[in-house]
Amino acid sequence: MTATLFQHVQIIDPASNTNMVGECLVEQGRISQLSDQLGSIKAPKDATIINGNGKALIPGLVDMRVQSCHPGAIHKETPLTLARAAARGGITSIVCLPNTNPVLDDPEMLKSQCQMLSGLSEPLKALKVYAYGAATSGLDGESMAELGLLTDAGAVGFTNATHAISNSLTMRRVLSYAAMLGQPVIQHAEDPILAANGEMHEGEHSMRLGLRGIPDAAEEIIIARDLSLLQMTGGHYHVAHISTAKGIALIRGAKAEGLKVTCDTAPPYALLNDIAVRDYDSRYRLSPPLRHEDDRLAVLDGLADGTIDAVASDHSPQDRDAKSLPFGLAEVGYSGLETLLALMLSLYHGGTLSLMQVVALISYHPAQILGLNVGQIRLDAPADLTLLDLNKSWQIRGENFASLSGTTPFEGTPVQGTVLGTWVDGIQIYEAG
Amino acid sequence: MNTSPSPYLATDPMGAPALPDRHLLGIEGLNRPTITSLLERANQFADLPAREQLSHLKGITVFTIFFENSTRTRVSFDLAARKMGASVVNVPVATSSIKKGESLIDTAVTLNAMHPDILVMRHQNSGASLLLSKYVNAAVINAGDGRHEHPTQALLDALTIQRRVGYIEGLNIAICGDIANSRVARSNIHLLSILGANIRVISPTTLVPKHITEMGVALYHDMEEGLQGTDIVMLLRLQQERMQGAETPSQREYFHRYGLTREKLSLAKPKALIMHPGPMNRGVEISSELADDLERSLITTQVEMGVAIRMACLEALAFGLTKSDQRNMK
Repeated sequence: MTATLFQHVQIIDPASNTNMVGECLVEQGRISQLSDQLGSIKAPKDATIINGNGKALIPGLVDMRVQSCHPGAIHKETPLTLARAAARGGITSIVCLPNTNPVLDDPEMLKSQCQMLSGLSEPLKALKVYAYGAATSGLDGESMAELGLLTDAGAVGFTNATHAISNSLTMRRVLSYAAMLGQPVIQHAEDPILAANGEMHEGEHSMRLGLRGIPDAAEEIIIARDLSLLQMTGGHYHVAHISTAKGIALIRGAKAEGLKVTCDTAPPYALLNDIAVRDYDSRYRLSPPLRHEDDRLAVLDGLADGTIDAVASDHSPQDRDAKSLPFGLAEVGYSGLETLLALMLSLYHGGTLSLMQVVALISYHPAQILGLNVGQIRLDAPADLTLLDLNKSWQIRGENFASLSGTTPFEGTPVQGTVLGTWVDGIQIYEAG
Repeated sequence: MNTSPSPYLATDPMGAPALPDRHLLGIEGLNRPTITSLLERANQFADLPAREQLSHLKGITVFTIFFENSTRTRVSFDLAARKMGASVVNVPVATSSIKKGESLIDTAVTLNAMHPDILVMRHQNSGASLLLSKYVNAAVINAGDGRHEHPTQALLDALTIQRRVGYIEGLNIAICGDIANSRVARSNIHLLSILGANIRVISPTTLVPKHITEMGVALYHDMEEGLQGTDIVMLLRLQQERMQGAETPSQREYFHRYGLTREKLSLAKPKALIMHPGPMNRGVEISSELADDLERSLITTQVEMGVAIRMACLEALAFGLTKSDQRNMK
């Protein structure tokens, strides 16, 4: 394996709070030298030299919420298109939900999910794939899956994927058992009965559009209940794609009490609100639904004050047929891998978050939440790196995605921040053309 | 039989009002002059002798596609189109490939290839007619989309009031019942507000979104309070499945609190009138005896006006098509 020397790059590492112009040498897939002196690191023989011209070098993104669609829905995304999309998005580690078909409730299934890219050619197969185990057998929400065997097989946490574990007794047991195993439980916090048949966020716009509402209380109820259970069981509870002011307030309170609670959100909840649904455009049919502007502002506050720990792409690709339907019949979801970084950078360019905060939310923090040894630029760390031009602008166009799914609620949105190259364990898996 | 042509209609086939859009998808977005001219035109059609056959829409093809069961609306559109001289095709949904999983858009593309001029669609999902309109060359009339809008119902209600009372501006109109699930309520709130009526809605908390007041209406949960001083009481149909413990406790409780009886009606203005889009649940929304009181009930007039309104709407859309054809030729 050849060495790579990054010359004249702006190295940003949230773990060490480093933001310096310098150099970075990668050898044997690991970071072997870092320097804030330009020209101080001597390139080994045969090393690939990358002159960054001052561009930013950040830890490769760790996307903690991805629906791989494999096995079971490869008409929506294939391992190849998934890997290409992630690499273009500057993502070096993805964490897959267990809602494949069959479900990842079996150790062998989980192992094969993590090996999903092994059939691909070099260098794309280097992309790191992790997976959550199903919290309940067949994701039925009732009976606990084999959490111990799944842990041994490599599960990085447990979840019921796109549905809440709504049975309180099951949730108590899952929390308790996962705590024993040292694993986080990831909850899609939405009361399925209160949200039944819901099509969009409940509010003035759902009333005007005649769409069935999903009240913010559906999120609040599940989080409040889970926090009560967590006080009994201990362990680590994580709320996925949090979207409401009420939910964020509960997490903020729980953190203040010292509970081991974390949460993530996704770009739509930080950048869009329920007004977007006005033309019944199914690109805006998401789960959780786009919320009220007050909720969006609460998401921004939560990101700024650290209540929200991470941002995931929430990549949930849908094929055209699944979206070419009346709003209420269309599938929820969107293609998110290729836009996560640029959309989050819009919060930096807009002054809501610092660059260090943005990078931490999409690399270091999710890795820490799941206990993954990635997401840092430090000596001897795996060389998972993303080189980007923070300022170069482009326009989001689904038709240009590498993902098989071009459906995005950000169609046409101008963004600033372009990935120039992506490396996993020192292997370059993407280079801007 | 009257053989002399109607002076206005026969000499002025282009007397149709123009719509701001190629389609008629909802009342929201229409302005007062457009609505007024549609009502005036429909008023002329309503005065035609019953057997009058017009030829304004000769050569125009109208498809009706009803994904939800309907008798009166479909028949009303069918009749209106035929009276205007159009050809009508009633696309059978229940027995067609649509039920076999063909998507709405595939259906639209298929039907579009047959070059209909106007598509009349009813669908159980809000926004379905807007979606359809993006995939066809025809003008689309929304004959009801989910819980969103039913524009021709609101127009026919307005025409009914206009003809009976003489004006709409300043009337106190109460819309009672299942507001949450009603497209008729939404369209009527838009339309009657534009025409200057004072609207109040009367509904149990479980059948009305609290945000309804954002539409500029007063909200009452007590029917007796809400009826005071009203000129028109507009009742909405309550679906059977909503009465048994789901959104209301029971049919008898609903009738007790929200069913219109002669006693409750006495709280309204002395000559207050009753309307209902049909089909009625006697003994649920209204007492049977009151429903049949021709002095107070406008229910059969509503059905009658439905045909006239739909004639006017079909004509307006066909006129829009002709205009765009002319533009395209230039």
